[in-house]
Amino acid sequence: MDPQNMQNMRSPLARAIGLGSAKEGVGAWWAERVSAVALLPLTLWFTASIIAHTCSDYATLIVWLRTPLAAILMMLLLIALFYHTALGLQVVIEDYVHSATKFAAVIAVRLGCCALATAGVVAILRIALSG
Amino acid sequence: MPSPTTTRPRPLSPNVQIYRPQLTSVLSILNRITGILLSACAVVLVVWLVAAARGPQTYAPVQAAIASRIGRIVLFGATFAFFLHLCGGIRHLVWDTVHGFELRSIYISGWTVVAASVVLAVAAWVASASIGG
Amino acid sequence: MIIRSSDQVPRTSLFKRFPIPRNFGVTRESRIGRGRTWPAPRGATRIRTFEIYRYDPDSGENPRFEAFEVDLDDCGPMVLDALIWIKNKVDSTLTFRRSCREGICGSCAMNIDGTNWLACTRFISDLATPATIYPLANLRIIKDLVPDLTHLFAQYTAIEPWLKSKTPEPERERLQSPKERSKVDGYYECILCFCCTSGCPSHWWNGDRFFGPAVLLQAWRWLTDSRDEGKEERLDNLEDPFRLYRCHTILNCTRTCPKGLNPGKAIAEIKKMMIERRS
Repeated sequence: MDPQNMQNMRSPLARAIGLGSAKEGVGAWWAERVSAVALLPLTLWFTASIIAHTCSDYATLIVWLRTPLAAILMMLLLIALFYHTALGLQVVIEDYVHSATKFAAVIAVRLGCCALATAGVVAILRIALSG
Repeated sequence: MPSPTTTRPRPLSPNVQIYRPQLTSVLSILNRITGILLSACAVVLVVWLVAAARGPQTYAPVQAAIASRIGRIVLFGATFAFFLHLCGGIRHLVWDTVHGFELRSIYISGWTVVAASVVLAVAAWVASASIGG
Repeated sequence: MIIRSSDQVPRTSLFKRFPIPRNFGVTRESRIGRGRTWPAPRGATRIRTFEIYRYDPDSGENPRFEAFEVDLDDCGPMVLDALIWIKNKVDSTLTFRRSCREGICGSCAMNIDGTNWLACTRFISDLATPATIYPLANLRIIKDLVPDLTHLFAQYTAIEPWLKSKTPEPERERLQSPKERSKVDGYYECILCFCCTSGCPSHWWNGDRFFGPAVLLQAWRWLTDSRDEGKEERLDNLEDPFRLYRCHTILNCTRTCPKGLNPGKAIAEIKKMMIERRS
C-alpha cells in the first residue's frame, strides 16, 4: 500500500473514495457461506467413507462409487468444493496481489476450478455408468 | 515547510514485523493457509478420481503414491489441515449470525477449534488404522 | 489463556512476533537502525528500559531504535508518564501526541509491546523488560511516535458520519425510544484513536481501499441509529468487495480496542444487514 503516492495530488478524501463503491459484493460473500454449509456434511461423509475404505482394493472402490448415493454425493462434493475454492482463492489473490497480474490470476483460478470440477464429474459419471 | 513529496518519503511504521501474534490473528491466518493447502488437495482428489475412472492400470501408481510413507505423512497433514479449516469454518459461520463476538467467547471458541481439530485428526487416523490394520 | 476483556495484557505467547525476517517487505526508507542508549540518572534504584522508535525528518536518516532507562520512582505509573519523564529529563526532542491523559481523547495511541493501546491507560508494571514502543502500525510517520492519520480520517469522512434526514425537520426533537437509543451503545463511545485499524492485517495489505474497523464501526453507528434516514445510501456506499468485504473476521480489532468496543461485531452486523436487504 502506498497512500503517499508521489505523483498523486488528489485530496485525501478523493483518495479514500477512490473509484467509488462497486455496489455489489454480497453475492460472492453469500455464495461462499452457502457452499461452506453444503461442504460441511459432504466433506464429513467423504472423510468417513475414505476411512471406511482404508484397505479396500480397486474393485471394492469401484463398486462403492457405482452406488447412486456415493456417485451423487461425490459429484455434489466436487461442485461445492470447487465453487468454494474458486471464491476463496479469488479473495486471497485480491488480498495480496495488487498489480495487473491480479486479473489474470483470478481468471486462471476460476477457469481452473471449472475445468477440474468438470473433469472430476465426468470421471465419476464414467465410473458410475460403465459396466 | 518542505512537503514529503519533494524531499524524502515518510517511513512506514512496522506492521507484521513487530505486531504481536495473538490467538485472533494466528487462527485466522491458519484458516487461510489450511484453505490454500486444501485447494491443492482438491486437485489431488480429481487426479485420484480420473485415475480410478481410467482403470486399474492407471489407478495403481496413484494409490501406491498415496500409500507410500511420504504420501501418508502428507495425508495426515491434509487431514489435520482439513479439520482445522472445518472447525475454523464453523466458527466463522457462527460469527456470521452475529453470535460469539465477546472477547471471552472468541477465545473459548478459538481454543476449542484448536483442540477439536487435533482430536478429530487423531481420531480419524486411529479409526483408519483400526480398520486397515 | 482466555482473555475476558481487551485491557488484559497478553502474558503468555509462543512468539512475540511472527517468525519472519525483521525487515520483511520493508522499503529502504523505513528500515530501522540501532540508536544510542540513554542511561538512567545517578542514584536511581528502580529502573525500567524503554526501547523507543525514533525518526527525525530533518536529519535525512532512517528511523532508529533508542533505549531509555527510566527512573520509575520519579515518574507516574503509566507509559505516558514515562514518555513525559523522558521528554522532561532526558531528551526533549522525543515527540508524541497526548492531551487528556485519561484515555478519552485518543491522541496517545501507539504500539506498546507489540499491541496497539493508549499510552495513558497502560501501566508500566504490565510491560515486558525491556519495553518496546513503536508508533501505530502501518502508518506514515511524521516524527518519532507521531503517525500521519490523514488517510484514516479521509476514510471516516467518506462514510458521511452525520444524520441524514429526508423527512422535514420535526418541531422539537427527533423522537427515539430508550430501546432504540440502546442500539447505539457500544458504538458511539469510539474515540477514533485508530488502534483497531492500525492493528488490522487486512488494512495493512489493502488500507488504501479497505475502510478498516474504526470507520466501519462508525458506519454501523449511523446505520443502527433509528433517527437516520439514509440507510439505503449508506449500505450502497459500503457494499464493495474492498470497502467492507476485505474484513475476514481476523478480530485483532476487538482484541486491541482500548475502550473495550467491538468493531468485529459491528462489521458482522453490517454484513448481516447487507444480506437482509436482498433476501
